[in-house]
Amino acid sequence: MTEHMASFPVLSCMLLAPVAGILILLFLKEEQGFLVRMVALVSAGISFALAIYTFVGYDKTLGGLQFVEKYPWVKAFGITYFVGVEGMNAPLLLLTGIVIFTGVLTMWELKERVREYFIFQLALVTGVFGVFMSYDMFFFFLFYEIAVVPMYILILIWGSTRKIYAAMKLTLYLMAGSGLIIPGILMLYSSSGLFTFNMLQLHGVAFAPWIQKIAFVFLFLGFGVLAAVWPFHTWSPVGHVAAPTAVSMLHAGVLMKLGSFAILRVAMYLCPAGFQYWAQFMGLLAAVGIVYGVFVGLAQTDLKYVIGYSSVSHMGIVGLGLATGTIDGLNGAVFQMFAHGVMTALFFSAVGYIYDRTHTRDILQLGGMSKIMPVASAFFITAALCGAGVPGMASFWAELLVLVSAVKVFPIRGLLAIASLVIGALFALRVVQNSFFNDPNPKFAHFEDVTPFLALPRMILIGFMIFFGLFPQVMLALIKSSIVPFIQGM
Amino acid sequence: MTMLLFGPELYYLGLAFVIFLLSLRRTPKVQQDYHLTLVLAGLGFLVAVMCLGQKGDLFFKAYRVDLFSQIFKAALALGLFLVLMISRNLASIEERFRAEFYLFLTTCTLGMMMLVSSVELLTIYVALELSSYSLYILVPLRKGDGIDVEAGIKYLFIGAVSSGFMLFGLSYLFGATHSTYLADIIHNMPQLLASPIGLMGLILAMAGFFFKLSVFPFHFWAPDVYQGGANQVVTFIATASKAVAVALLLRLAALGAGYGYSFTQVLMVLSIISMTLGNLVAIIQRDFKRMLAYSSIAHAGYVLMGVISMQEAGFTSAVYYALAYLVMNFTVFMVISEVASDGRDLKIAELAGLWRRSPLLSMSLILGIFALAGVPPSIGFTGKLLLFTSAMNSGFFWLVLIGAVNGTLSLYYYLKVVYAAYFVESDLPPIELSWPTRILNYALCATILVFGVAPNSIIELARAAVKSVL
Repeated sequence: MTEHMASFPVLSCMLLAPVAGILILLFLKEEQGFLVRMVALVSAGISFALAIYTFVGYDKTLGGLQFVEKYPWVKAFGITYFVGVEGMNAPLLLLTGIVIFTGVLTMWELKERVREYFIFQLALVTGVFGVFMSYDMFFFFLFYEIAVVPMYILILIWGSTRKIYAAMKLTLYLMAGSGLIIPGILMLYSSSGLFTFNMLQLHGVAFAPWIQKIAFVFLFLGFGVLAAVWPFHTWSPVGHVAAPTAVSMLHAGVLMKLGSFAILRVAMYLCPAGFQYWAQFMGLLAAVGIVYGVFVGLAQTDLKYVIGYSSVSHMGIVGLGLATGTIDGLNGAVFQMFAHGVMTALFFSAVGYIYDRTHTRDILQLGGMSKIMPVASAFFITAALCGAGVPGMASFWAELLVLVSAVKVFPIRGLLAIASLVIGALFALRVVQNSFFNDPNPKFAHFEDVTPFLALPRMILIGFMIFFGLFPQVMLALIKSSIVPFIQGM
Repeated sequence: MTMLLFGPELYYLGLAFVIFLLSLRRTPKVQQDYHLTLVLAGLGFLVAVMCLGQKGDLFFKAYRVDLFSQIFKAALALGLFLVLMISRNLASIEERFRAEFYLFLTTCTLGMMMLVSSVELLTIYVALELSSYSLYILVPLRKGDGIDVEAGIKYLFIGAVSSGFMLFGLSYLFGATHSTYLADIIHNMPQLLASPIGLMGLILAMAGFFFKLSVFPFHFWAPDVYQGGANQVVTFIATASKAVAVALLLRLAALGAGYGYSFTQVLMVLSIISMTLGNLVAIIQRDFKRMLAYSSIAHAGYVLMGVISMQEAGFTSAVYYALAYLVMNFTVFMVISEVASDGRDLKIAELAGLWRRSPLLSMSLILGIFALAGVPPSIGFTGKLLLFTSAMNSGFFWLVLIGAVNGTLSLYYYLKVVYAAYFVESDLPPIELSWPTRILNYALCATILVFGVAPNSIIELARAAVKSVL
């Protein structure tokens, strides 16, 4: 892969903006509430702006790795600080920027321990940015863990519904995943004989097939926990439900993508033979996840559980796309990561607004919210339409690409996925009908609708969702510019 | 410049003498003694740092001064200074024993400093006992209801037993090689390690340091001593003394580098049992220091991974981890002694509401705990990953897998501490911190983060140091 050095350290700035925010917040006082929020917003805003800049500024015709920064870090162990952007991580950096920026705005009304909240949230997002841009396995793993651990505190303190249980379950599941990742990564490191953590150099090593097969299982299962691959998904609906709104947004929107991105970036990239060997198995787990997510979701009455299980199902689509190993499949999978991220963030953002006021997420209790809060309801309904795969929304294209290539590669699993998505659409409409178009619950009649300021983050999310729904080529051409060499290198 | 070669040791010998004079006063002047000792200990750290570049042999080559020993001497001097920093109000030790407390800490430091430079079996043993005897006195010095005496007796007995094992092993080594010099022994090691006498001798010789590092099966003292000793004494045992144990294990293990398959297998088994046992038992603990005792057993297992790899990278990461462990464990103990300022044993549940009572302490606590748990960006994460890397490079796949799984296990009980400090409410009054303590807090947090993300300077230093050992 060709590397084009950055003239200005854009990526480091994107990474360090939240860190700078944290440092400033450490020296502020809890009473300075507005200032605290502004610092969080500005640092998230800088990262967001830089993410847009790299997304737009990436030169597709030039290709390869751009905005590269590379410094030797620890020579004795072959660790390099190596960050860059290519077609497959540019959308995810953009997604992270969108979700953190809108997440800070969504949490504007937070009253309790505001300063600490933003410190942990910015720490988390630093990790997420770091994972998407790192090309050195040491830093990749370092950022991966940074992204995972603050979740414990965020859910524990600011969460709801069985939060103590959920926080511990989530953290232990994800750390158990890390326990598998470490041997996987180190196995590749030491058997390469190069003593380097640089992924591009490791890619050049032809590992023995048996090493690839073993390492791939470790990496796939380890990262798969975070990607909520069935049957390791059980932490995810529980965690989504317990987490505070912006954390659910970040978590379902971005964090789960870390898992699937890492499977693509580390497991498939470094162990192509291992991937060929296990692809059938991956496809099977993904297909089961899709069907399972839809059917378990059917039985839920809590809106957040509904979204949580639909996430399992949608992440199954990502997994299915990856398992096909075709250009269209991977293209769709990466696009689906982006589309699902924006969509879920909108889902949780809308539910969060309703829940903060009504203190219930029970579908039957909510009744006819569209008559009480038409704007807030509209946000949820838009997200539900996107989730059902309505054309004109970003995820339509993503799901289409994945399903078409899945039917070619795994006909039965592909058809099963399509069938369950139809049921899923039906069920999304049922949820929408029950909670928004039934008789309004008189208890909630006095609540106000979303103010224009609070509507802003949701509007941004809808804007991106529809823009990439109408102009999918912008995204697809970008992703393709790196997927094609990726597949050729496998 | 022979004087300068022996500089740190001479300084601490003099310091011990000064404190001895202080202890002779009929009516102790507590504040004055404390400040004098603190300043002198701070100077001692500067002396140790100044002597970092010294190189040479002393006392008929029984005593080697090189970068390896000097790094650990500086770490020890720092450890003593830090422990004295948190000894401002030693509620658990009577005022008339304060000077003795400083005195035995100093002699213990002196003994350990001599230990890291010793390259001859008898010198090693004498230095080890000098440091151990000081600790045997320090542990029961706490005023208490008998739990301190129990701790003191357990520490003494298990220490004596492990010394016995060690002497037995040393006698084997001497008997087989006719020399007490490590430099001579290492020449004979290749043939010797293949025979049972060499293997047994070497492993038993390490027993004294297994005891200090609380490696299975010499770990039984740890929970009782941690709980029964005064917080500050335990801090010293849990930080400085562990670092030295790692240094000496590396020196002795270097004897077996490259030859002994059975030798590494034995160490591997000890490592696996230590970390698994430590982590599993720590889960059910309620007393904070007792939990940390079991966690120290687990950490001993991690450090052994670096020793086992028997390569430069492994030794480097073991040295890095020993230094990192000193800092992160000290951070946690500092929080304990600040929260339990009356010198009591702290239950984990008593950390409740710390985020409100003292945000600074809770920040230090969370960083220290996350570092112990191996969560990035901290020295603990980097250290552990380096240990795993070097073990994997030497082909210990299963060891790494078990170590990684253990990391997950340990997170459970570390998170319980975070849970108590950050989530549980309490209406206890805020904790006031003096300005030196505040500075100490910031300095420790910065150290944990900065050297975790940018470890290169420490790693290069450690790498240069272990070259003289291997």
